[in-house]
Amino acid sequence: MSEAELIMYDQSDKCTMYTIQFTGDEDSEIEKFYNKFKDSLEYNADFNKLINVLLNILDTGAFERYFRYEGKVSDRVMALPVLSSKLRLYCVRLSDRILILGNGGTKKSRPYEEDDELRGYVLTLQKFDKLLKEGVRDGSIIVTENTIDTDKTFEL
Amino acid sequence: MKHTKMSLREMAAQTPAEVQQEVKMEFAVSNRIYQLMVSKGLNQKQLAIALGKRPCEVNKWISGQHNFTLRTIAMLTTFFGEPIIGVAE
Repeated sequence: MSEAELIMYDQSDKCTMYTIQFTGDEDSEIEKFYNKFKDSLEYNADFNKLINVLLNILDTGAFERYFRYEGKVSDRVMALPVLSSKLRLYCVRLSDRILILGNGGTKKSRPYEEDDELRGYVLTLQKFDKLLKEGVRDGSIIVTENTIDTDKTFEL
Repeated sequence: MKHTKMSLREMAAQTPAEVQQEVKMEFAVSNRIYQLMVSKGLNQKQLAIALGKRPCEVNKWISGQHNFTLRTIAMLTTFFGEPIIGVAE
């Protein structure tokens, strides 16, 4: 189990984006994803599009129709992009105005459950989502229309 | 609350300008189609049936991530009876 905190990634009047950073890590989860693919020749085209998909979500809102379901029915874990791509980026979509980005990787032909790396990213976010819901219930986390207020650390 | 070292806007600024433009246009067309669909009181399934398409096709159109052909745009412009895109004179 590792300790992590919620940190701010970017915001607009339509959407606030957060990510997670594990204690002791140099980079947040979304920055790990960025650093993994930014110089990749093989995945460059898909990666550049995906970053711009995120930018347009930031500018318009995190509407459900922009995402694909990839977690369980009971959680809010979703993935990008919707269309066929060699990459998958995972996130927790709290609402049209709040999105929490996680890490991601390359999508092989098999389902994510059979890929240890991707499965790990999804499990981390599923656990985070569960702790977030518990925190809202016990009052240690306050979710407003477009923000998450917490200084809590999360045991993931 | 702490911030990431690099914001999304800073990351996106590093990507090629033509990709930025492409994705922006895809989202704009997609959101216009969604807006027309809602203004006509249609949901995804109803629009698919009205056009003789599969619901997953409509799902792609409104995902913000579809590379539309002019054929599809022409078909949807005709169906809605309203413009989806404009061309500079």
